[in-house]
Amino acid sequence: MKPIIILTNNPIVIKKYQKLQLITQGTAVEVLLKTRDLVHLGHKLLNHPLAGSVKPNETPYRSLMVSQNAEQLDYTSLSLIEGAIQIYAQFYRDHPTPEWTEKVLQDFQLIDLTLVTSGYQSFGNLS
Amino acid sequence: MRLELGKIFIKDVQFGSKTEVNKGVLTVNKEELIKKISGDPRIASINVELAKPGEEIRIIPVKDVIEPRVKVEGNGGIFPGWISKVETVGSGRTHILKGAAVVTTGKVVGFQEGIIDMSGPGAEYTPFSRINNVVIIAEPIEKLPQHEHEAAVRMIGLKAAAYIGETGRNIQPDEVDVYEALPFFEGTEKYRDLPRVAYVYMLQSQGLLHDTYVYGVDVKQIIPTFIYATEVFDGAIISGNCVSACDKNTTYHHLNSPVIEDLYKYHGKEYNFVGVIITNENVTLADKERSSNYVAKLASMLNLDAAIVSEEGFGNPDADLIMNCKKLEVQGIKTVLITDEYAGRDGASQSLADANPAATAVVTGGNANEVITLPSMKKVIGHVEPADVIAGGFAGSLAKDGSITVEIQAITGATNELGFNKMSAQGY
Repeated sequence: MKPIIILTNNPIVIKKYQKLQLITQGTAVEVLLKTRDLVHLGHKLLNHPLAGSVKPNETPYRSLMVSQNAEQLDYTSLSLIEGAIQIYAQFYRDHPTPEWTEKVLQDFQLIDLTLVTSGYQSFGNLS
Repeated sequence: MRLELGKIFIKDVQFGSKTEVNKGVLTVNKEELIKKISGDPRIASINVELAKPGEEIRIIPVKDVIEPRVKVEGNGGIFPGWISKVETVGSGRTHILKGAAVVTTGKVVGFQEGIIDMSGPGAEYTPFSRINNVVIIAEPIEKLPQHEHEAAVRMIGLKAAAYIGETGRNIQPDEVDVYEALPFFEGTEKYRDLPRVAYVYMLQSQGLLHDTYVYGVDVKQIIPTFIYATEVFDGAIISGNCVSACDKNTTYHHLNSPVIEDLYKYHGKEYNFVGVIITNENVTLADKERSSNYVAKLASMLNLDAAIVSEEGFGNPDADLIMNCKKLEVQGIKTVLITDEYAGRDGASQSLADANPAATAVVTGGNANEVITLPSMKKVIGHVEPADVIAGGFAGSLAKDGSITVEIQAITGATNELGFNKMSAQGY
């Protein structure tokens, strides 16, 4: 089992992975910024900071995974997280995330959860 | 592996008492079709409508588009792993109803996108406005989980395409194209003086609503592998992806991969098209590293001189695209990338989420952030409500008069990353 930290602002990720080490944030951008802090402290980014096709200004949720162990600064992780922060700014510039209905928010939470779970399973963890 | 593709040109579609093709007109017995595709307990109701080129019809939200095909000779059947057994396909003869398609619609998630306008300015951006569409509206039972809904509609679409494709079994095609894929060593011997080129086919595999299947297997669970190009024409790859309308590869796109078709054009003359490497676009960085390493390894096993790499989606898959590019180029394999752009509404921002000096040859399908206003249509098939919440839409996208102002990323196939579109740029 790979020791990981999940950074998230998604309530259903928090609920599902409550037994793991979680760092919760208010917004998706705050998740990215906090992740960058950890990367600077030597934690390694484990999933890509951008979602597959759901755009940064569409979904208000983001969950990222970093290694629990802090070692040397990983420049690939840093480059990816910095790049993602720039992309978020680019998308927000044209349009901020709309005020979604509860149903749409729930769907975005689910998509974000499936991305985390897909990654978590890929590390050889069970659920 | 030799495959004949017999194209039966369809110029019109209508409902009638018998499902058949006669003189280029496809007639569909609506009741029989509904009966054939019904029976899934997850689906509460199914309706079928027609949408023809030039009609004032909007289909929204589009889930998948599938071309009707039937295998008339050779191993296996169409859509292996789904409709047919998992026999290896890609040889013999397949008949195609060219100019017809099955379109599935269904609001799987609240923010789902995918618009096909059959006329007006939006029609210019989607290839499916020029096709006679049989649209399946499948409504789920209450509280059906989203992934179950997607799976049910996916299967219904494939069943409908196979049922309609069957009408082409005994029809003399208007045109027959022949594609031949040789075993690697045989091809290398035959075309020993020609450069070896392969296609690296990246398939979306991020999880719920972002999946692709090969012979029924979820692509996120594969390691990159070889496939004969002709297998793709028989439906070995199908889409389970319902988001990212502009740059998702529908099953129709896979069946009609322009990269594969065009690579065949000069195969044996200017180069030796040795085959296709399929790979995935997974969530974790370790998966991306593993898959791109594997692509590079397979490319070296094929002793390639050049490769074309196509992407599906935006953001996270840009990392896979660039990793594949870097690792191929470092081996001396000349690499061309096909992607699209999210360069902002002014087109001035960086187009991709990743970049590298090795990416010296890049083809774009267009800027998905361009804005368009789609006028209201006389008829809407599906659900118009998602217009306010689709990707590229925003609060207020849907005006009172029924017009929609969106970025073109909401239009199915608008910036397709296999190059299956008509967008071009002109310098002045």
